[in-house]
Amino acid sequence: MRLLELLRSTTFRWALITAAAFAVGNLLLFGGFYLRTTVYLRNNIDTAVAEAAHLLASLPPDEMLKSIDRRLHDDPRHVRLAGLFGADGKRIFGNIETFPAALALDGSAHEANLLRIDSNGTESQMARAVGVRLGNRDVLIVGRDADELRQIRDTIDQGMILALLPALMLALAVGAWLSLRVQRRIEAMGRQASRIVSGELQARLPIRHSRDPLDRLASIVNRMLDEIEELIGQLAGVGDDIAHDIRTPLTRVRAMLERGRDGTLAADEMRALNDRAIVGLDQSLAVVTALLRIAEIDHGRRLAGIDIVRLAEIVTAVQEFYAPSAEDKGVTLKVSLAEVTPIPGDRDLLFEAVANLVDNAMKFTPAGGTVRISLVQRHDGPVVRVEDTGPGIDQAERDAVVRRFYRSDKSRGTAGVGLGLSLVAAIVKLHGFSLDISAGPGCVVEIVCRPGHPATLRHAVAMSLPRAGASPADVAAT
Amino acid sequence: MIEDDAETAEEILKALDDRGYALDHAADGTDGLKRARGGDWDALIIDRMLPGLDGLAVIEALRNENVMAPVLVLSALGAVNDRIRGLRAGGDDYLVKPFSVDELAARLEALLRRPAMPRETVLRVGPLELDLLARTARRGHRALDLLPREFQILEYMMRREGQVLTRAMMLEQVWNFSFVPQTNLVDVHIGRLRRKLDAPGEPPMIVSVRGAGFMLRAPA
Repeated sequence: MRLLELLRSTTFRWALITAAAFAVGNLLLFGGFYLRTTVYLRNNIDTAVAEAAHLLASLPPDEMLKSIDRRLHDDPRHVRLAGLFGADGKRIFGNIETFPAALALDGSAHEANLLRIDSNGTESQMARAVGVRLGNRDVLIVGRDADELRQIRDTIDQGMILALLPALMLALAVGAWLSLRVQRRIEAMGRQASRIVSGELQARLPIRHSRDPLDRLASIVNRMLDEIEELIGQLAGVGDDIAHDIRTPLTRVRAMLERGRDGTLAADEMRALNDRAIVGLDQSLAVVTALLRIAEIDHGRRLAGIDIVRLAEIVTAVQEFYAPSAEDKGVTLKVSLAEVTPIPGDRDLLFEAVANLVDNAMKFTPAGGTVRISLVQRHDGPVVRVEDTGPGIDQAERDAVVRRFYRSDKSRGTAGVGLGLSLVAAIVKLHGFSLDISAGPGCVVEIVCRPGHPATLRHAVAMSLPRAGASPADVAAT
Repeated sequence: MIEDDAETAEEILKALDDRGYALDHAADGTDGLKRARGGDWDALIIDRMLPGLDGLAVIEALRNENVMAPVLVLSALGAVNDRIRGLRAGGDDYLVKPFSVDELAARLEALLRRPAMPRETVLRVGPLELDLLARTARRGHRALDLLPREFQILEYMMRREGQVLTRAMMLEQVWNFSFVPQTNLVDVHIGRLRRKLDAPGEPPMIVSVRGAGFMLRAPA
């Protein structure tokens, strides 16, 4: 089982591939070596044989015979071959038994199989041979045994095997060792991972600080785990807040219904009680609805209507929508519009975001105060800024306010489910824009619209149908 | 009405019965489709998630057979895409659960009394007169000075004289919003319009309907 795993491991496969590459390299090297050596040797032999043949052919007949005889005698290794044949192919002289009919008589060296005859008997030899036709139509053949070329090849073959085998073994051994090491580390990580899966969220993958890929991967995973642990921590806190925000009105409703059940109330008292119970239920529902809506936006499922949006139209529409209630409340609603570049976005969602900011600003601004919506062109894109003269948001609270259900202590007692800014944050994130909260006299919230965020546009789906029908929050509003 | 949850169905039946509607009820898609085909209905209320046959499939089947009665789709799915799918299948309005019975009744009434195609260029309700071409409004001899949005609200309400109009309906139809803001701004806008409509001593023309919304009607 372990062996099988080893064979399957990536590291071991790499080792195998390396060994194979090494072997191929060696083959090429030795092959080249062999080729060069044999060509060189054969050329030397060919030149020598051809020179000897031409020299012999140029001698007068009796001199030639003497020379051949001398040449054959002076050959302790029995590599020299020479023969004189008649025009009909009959042997006249020399140590070549039969006339090699296949040999071209063109005065240059060719490979030929010659039958050697001498004091040791007859023997077939592979040789490089030159055939020359003499003036009297006789044929002179001079050759040299080429067997040593084969011997060289054998030597090289042996050398290659001797060199290659140990190298291959070494590569396999190193490969096996490396993969075992990696496997052990992966097993250690696996053990940690199953601890994390079983609920030990603070556990982390082991790191060796060697900066190898496995280590880097482990630290990436660890950073991810840090993030997840923090999020889960936040979620637990949010869960408590949700429970509180939903339970409080439900508890009130329950108490009211119990009181109504007693039957001691007059009809109009009963009706008032009912109305209050419905308000309580609506509050709980509004929380659920808002949560679902944020989740919907967070998951990017609502990228229905990406379009080129003119922010000035949105700001003007928001102002028109809120102007009457601002006047009723004694708050001045001011708008300043600069010329800004149109941006791609979902008009309805952006309207909702700006409306939510204004809604918030109005809520926290006391009578006599001012809410200002401005549209500014900055180098990084158009900016929608909503300022108020309310109590503002403390530095420490700025990150927290965009979290779900976070409500500043200052806002206790103000109507709302505490999800407005989280909703804005979700919409802004969906568009790839950014949300800045800073302190002015009161609170300053900015949506910085950096256009061309790829994630938004890639998923853009043109939906032609009008958005009719009730929104989930209808009941809450009635 | 095709609705599988017995208790919801019973509440809707009672509430609509109180308002004078005669309602027939089927508890699953197959039976619902059969009965919707058979009768001559003024309107259909169809739940989206049904045992047997899905609500959208029922609507599509009916539309293919040229049953053109207006359909109000009920659903627990609130996502915009679900809504679009519901309307695309042939629904005329879409209401997300949980909803108030008043909202349901108001929307049903709106479906049953769809305003005739706007031919007339002057709308009249009692002493109120709206000239759509000249963009002028008057009550009796008194000219009303309306903002463009107020003019729109008044036009919407005059076309639906005597109907209960919920805040959500107005946000959708007049403002074209697909969301409901936290603060109730519709009331503020209506309040403003009311003050312009009713001079001191004059009987009010826009009445609030408890728990539901508003209604425009000629003073008695």
